[in-house]
Amino acid sequence: MKRRAFLITGGVVGGGLMVGVGGLSYVNNKIEQFSGTGMGEGHSLNAFVRISPDNIITVAVSKTEMGQGVYTSIPMLIAEELEVDLSQVKVVHPQCEGPYANLFFANMTPRDFENGLTTMEKVFSFLPNVMTGGSSSIIDSYDHMRIVGATAREMLIAAAAKDWDAKTEDCYADNGHIHNKLNGQWKYYGELAEKASKEKAPELPQLKARSEFKIVGKPSKRLDVPDKVDGTAQFGLDVRLPNMKYAAMRHPAFVAGKIVSVNNVAQVESMPGVDKVVIIDEGVAVVAKTTWHAKNAIAALDLEEKEHPELTRKDAISSLKKVLEGEPAKVWEDEGDIETVLENAEKVITSDYEVPYLAHACMEPLNCTVLVNGDKAEVWTGCQSSTFVLNGVSEGTGISKENIKTNITYLGGGFGRRSETDFVRKAAKVASNFPGTPVQLVFTREEDMKNDYYRPAVVSRLTAALGNGNILGMKKKVAGQGPLFQMMKRNIPFMPMNQEDDQMATEGMRDLPYKMDAAYTDMSCIELPVPVGTWRSVGHSQNAFFTESFMDECARELGKDPYEIRKEMLGNEPRHLDVLNKLAEMSNWKSELPEGKYRGIALHKSFGSIVGQVVEISIQDKNIKVDKVFCVIDCGKIVNPAIIESQMQSGIVYGLTAALYGEISVKDGKVVQNNFPDYQMVTMKTMPEIVVSIIDSDEYPGGVGEPGTPPIAPALTNAVFAATGDRVRSLPLARHGYRFV
Amino acid sequence: MEIKVNGKVYPVDVEDSMPLLWVLRDVLDLTGTKYGCGVAACGACTVHIDGVATRTCMLPVSAAVGKEITTVEGISTAPGLSAVQRAWIDHQVPQCGYCQSGMIMAVEALLDENPDPSDDDINGKITNICRCGTYQRIRAAIKTAAQYRIQSIATDQPSKS
Ligand code: FES
Ligand code: FES
Repeated sequence: MKRRAFLITGGVVGGGLMVGVGGLSYVNNKIEQFSGTGMGEGHSLNAFVRISPDNIITVAVSKTEMGQGVYTSIPMLIAEELEVDLSQVKVVHPQCEGPYANLFFANMTPRDFENGLTTMEKVFSFLPNVMTGGSSSIIDSYDHMRIVGATAREMLIAAAAKDWDAKTEDCYADNGHIHNKLNGQWKYYGELAEKASKEKAPELPQLKARSEFKIVGKPSKRLDVPDKVDGTAQFGLDVRLPNMKYAAMRHPAFVAGKIVSVNNVAQVESMPGVDKVVIIDEGVAVVAKTTWHAKNAIAALDLEEKEHPELTRKDAISSLKKVLEGEPAKVWEDEGDIETVLENAEKVITSDYEVPYLAHACMEPLNCTVLVNGDKAEVWTGCQSSTFVLNGVSEGTGISKENIKTNITYLGGGFGRRSETDFVRKAAKVASNFPGTPVQLVFTREEDMKNDYYRPAVVSRLTAALGNGNILGMKKKVAGQGPLFQMMKRNIPFMPMNQEDDQMATEGMRDLPYKMDAAYTDMSCIELPVPVGTWRSVGHSQNAFFTESFMDECARELGKDPYEIRKEMLGNEPRHLDVLNKLAEMSNWKSELPEGKYRGIALHKSFGSIVGQVVEISIQDKNIKVDKVFCVIDCGKIVNPAIIESQMQSGIVYGLTAALYGEISVKDGKVVQNNFPDYQMVTMKTMPEIVVSIIDSDEYPGGVGEPGTPPIAPALTNAVFAATGDRVRSLPLARHGYRFV
Repeated sequence: MEIKVNGKVYPVDVEDSMPLLWVLRDVLDLTGTKYGCGVAACGACTVHIDGVATRTCMLPVSAAVGKEITTVEGISTAPGLSAVQRAWIDHQVPQCGYCQSGMIMAVEALLDENPDPSDDDINGKITNICRCGTYQRIRAAIKTAAQYRIQSIATDQPSKS
């Protein structure tokens, strides 16, 4: 760790590997080094594009496919500039290497290709930080992948021009061919690839104008769908290798607890199909002939367990409520003079909100397959970060990262849960007991649900100063655990962070778009037994619920329409205003609804995109039917509208599930919920109709995987208020006796 | 014992009580059928047994002996994709895709039994979980698949293998 820190500050990063012009550090350097990793036959034009003699274009997509569509949207960006049909493109996921790092995370801003890499971007390339998450894939790729495609195109043109002794200006690329416009000559890319691979890459290629796009901005069919309808798509759990063994494991049953001993190793090892009980410091695994034998064996383990002396019995919500009353750990926003504005207000209203822990419950339970062979290892898994896969295998086996080969499969859902190393490290530890034999470790659904890094339980207190028919100021206090703080501590321990500096705890709360005289946000934090992490939309998932519910409360208090009050306060935010107005128009906000139907509205910006939603419900006694959701998004320039639409639907269902049913609770020191029967999901029956409208915008792209989630809970509870006068300030709705039909 | 999967007979040397899901996945390496919950609550493990959609994670393999087992790998052998699979592509249903084998098998069985299901029929029969929330496209695809099947019967084309 020390050595790495030295390298970074010592400036070595700036030399050798990292030399690059205009930020294209790897495009024309070290091609050989980065092209041998699963890209198949042919010649590499850069680290991302390889073309075979028979014209197959293989692209390395460095983001993982977890349903959000990156194995289509990123190839679209490359294909657009490379001038090839998407059907010619084959996707591979590369090894964990510098060119494939997600540099958006370095500064939380897209890189600037004219001015080259910033110091942090160099650090992230050097590590390298290959990571998918934070709805950053398109933000990180929009310019970069078009440049990658255009660079390859210009190299092909240069090679053809040389061949024909023509000028490059007289040659152009179209549909997988280079043409000479003077004499009509043409060649396939495949014929030119070898020569093109030896051409010098342009410093910065010429990119197409948006008006010339043939692929980007249009609803291309997903490249992964055919494999996902005939059962051939390979997820981590589908990896099958010769002589493979299957493992399952038990984690400590107490939160923050420990397994002290196993009382019946011999008995379990004598069960049919069982090979071995493997005790690792994080739990007890059983390796067996099949998953079923392993599952049966872990159920038979007789374990001695110990609670954590202080933490296990510490209750989250009551502890958080207590710290909320004390001094905050950090003030995150302090615009204007909030105390004076509150003092002088005609009326002050205050509301307390709370949300529970939530599990990710990816459809595919966590799993990882590892083969240890002497001082080498190979790993197969669906993980959001190949960096974490290497770290996990290396930590678990002691094998150095250069000797580990990764195979990143499709992910059966990620939602932030797969941006962790735990399942990889545990599988590696178990597999290191079986050198030469691949071992697939699965967390059973029950273990998956009980050993999550949950969306934190959070409490908040919002206070508004009202006067002249307006909201004059808002004071927002929040108490919780830091999801990013914990995620970094677990997975990137050499970049330490204080819990109060976790920007995700107050994201979407400290930066409301509404114009007021004063705005204030602070955060209190605390150590609690339940581990937390990044859950689809992270801090936004609860902060939108707090702020957009409270906006509704303020509107009601002022006797104003919840749409109108937002509109009045968005004077400085034209993009928000466009979304809001479009939303009011498409939902017919001003119209009367039929008897028994009610609506609620919410607006929230996250991950660079602005999303507004109107929810229509019918309600009878406490039976709620969510009839319809109108959703408007401005995510900047559009890559694939069909994927944006499906991500909005997906994000809404994810948030709706949480708002209606979602709750992970702890009783007697143990997580209560086990499996889907007690962690309920929206299904066909409870699914509303969702109508999505995408604003055509010229802004730099924002994310789409997460921004659909935050507004749905407040839009729904605001509709419940409209229907019943019941202001639901804690989730889920099921806790308040509501049922869903 | 022997089981017949997608028309092929496999000898399997396993305990009678082993759930069919794990025999398919871990013994026969037919991994299209998925494990989601293990308690018959999510539908990821749905296959057809003598044409009936069945969750296999709690079904002892012995109960499937002597029956026709069809998995997702078996519905598109010839002459191409099934009507349901084609509709799934038309509507671009899958996201992560993990639940979709089970969804498709449940829908195939629904349409075998009820060629033109109403929304209520769909809600009653398709109780599988999709954590990615693809339900809206699933509903649209079911209706398209129903049309494909009705048309292919009208033109005397086989709708599935
Ligand atoms: S795995 Fe069988 S129903 Fe979920
Ligand atoms: S597509 Fe991911 S669970 Fe259904």
